[in-house]
Amino acid sequence: MDSAETFEKAALGHLDAVYRAAVALCGGRQEADDLVQETYLRAFERFESFRPGTNCKAWLLRIMRNIWIDRLRRKKIAGNELPLAEQAVAEEGRDKETVWSNAEDLIENFSDEQVIKALSELQEDQRLTLFLIDVEQLSQEDVARITGVATGTVKSRTSRGRAALKERLASYARKMGLAGH
Amino acid sequence: MNHITDERFEDILQGEETDLAHLRQCQDCRDRLAEKKAIAERLRSAFGSMHASPELADRISQTLNAATAAVTSDRPVKRVSLSSHRRQLWPAFAAAAAILIVLVPLSVYFNTSSTAKAAQAELVGIHQENLRPDREFFSDAEPEKLAEYLKSELGFSPAFPCTGQGMAIRGCCVAHFRERIVGSYVVDTPQGVISIIVVTDRPKSLGMSRMSERTRSGQTCWKASFARCSMVTVRLGDYSYCAVGEISHKYLLELISRLLS
Repeated sequence: MDSAETFEKAALGHLDAVYRAAVALCGGRQEADDLVQETYLRAFERFESFRPGTNCKAWLLRIMRNIWIDRLRRKKIAGNELPLAEQAVAEEGRDKETVWSNAEDLIENFSDEQVIKALSELQEDQRLTLFLIDVEQLSQEDVARITGVATGTVKSRTSRGRAALKERLASYARKMGLAGH
Repeated sequence: MNHITDERFEDILQGEETDLAHLRQCQDCRDRLAEKKAIAERLRSAFGSMHASPELADRISQTLNAATAAVTSDRPVKRVSLSSHRRQLWPAFAAAAAILIVLVPLSVYFNTSSTAKAAQAELVGIHQENLRPDREFFSDAEPEKLAEYLKSELGFSPAFPCTGQGMAIRGCCVAHFRERIVGSYVVDTPQGVISIIVVTDRPKSLGMSRMSERTRSGQTCWKASFARCSMVTVRLGDYSYCAVGEISHKYLLELISRLLS
């Protein structure tokens, strides 16, 4: 079996998960395609560093996160503003504490696109962490390895990310007239 | 009554059976937990039906096959062609092409299972990235600003190259090497663009061989070749300064000797 075949067998099975994570990071499907392709090429280039029997999905996600961070840095150098959750929340008025009387009913009113958009507006570290914990249901330890931080940081990022996501959805709800201030 | 902390909620959501007694008697914490669960489940369902397109999967397979075919037949890599409606993805393919340039000599990498060769491939990959027309650099006329930038990204200030004699720093940038963040200077020289990549790894662990020549200041130099690139490395303090470029070792040694003098 040649190297490409071995790689495809090990890595392409995780394509959907890597793609979903790319959408979570990028917010848009076109940019996500681009990120996924670069991730697989980079992974193929470094396949020798992958230890068979270890978590291939986590390995791919870590590579993707590194590529994404490199891209963010380039954007930052180019003078582009990065989407920061604090800025977005500040615009909506963070002092308005949202009280959801029935969270489960309320969040069902949002479309998938709105939920994904709200996620994409979170800070990069919270966005990926929350996605990996809630959507991919990875363990805190795996997420810590992927994102290169301590498990405690994963917990706090997840918690802050979920709170920020709730605030984003609450602001959508206000705009849609589904919730009061 | 002490309510459950946010971190404990995360443990509960991970399936840890903790604080059950408190949850039984505290409606407030039960509501908070239900809300967190609802958000998590809604997030999960939003992505539930999302799959990579067959087109993306095909494109990745084709690109990998093209890379493998090029390696085995020693022919130039043919990039997977773009359909007209996806021309907006050109930057992605440009990136892919840059990586493929590195993939061709990866036959050595795969055949020898050499981590040192893999490291050299990564260094050359960083240099190839630096050569891309759309590569963004942090650039500033003041060397202090460049040093500040690298310090903020790397946590230390690498030695700053001395320019002049036809050499000018285009900018500096960071990239990942062996899953760590490293900095590189991109320098225009009369012989072409070179990258000086600063890594913590010792030259020997990068698979480099000792050169008989030394720098003007008497430092030991190490060299390697990968793809069309030459590499000459000098160890200063805790860091290796690796000059990479498509020029001879002799001239690269001269350049790095001048730059780090």
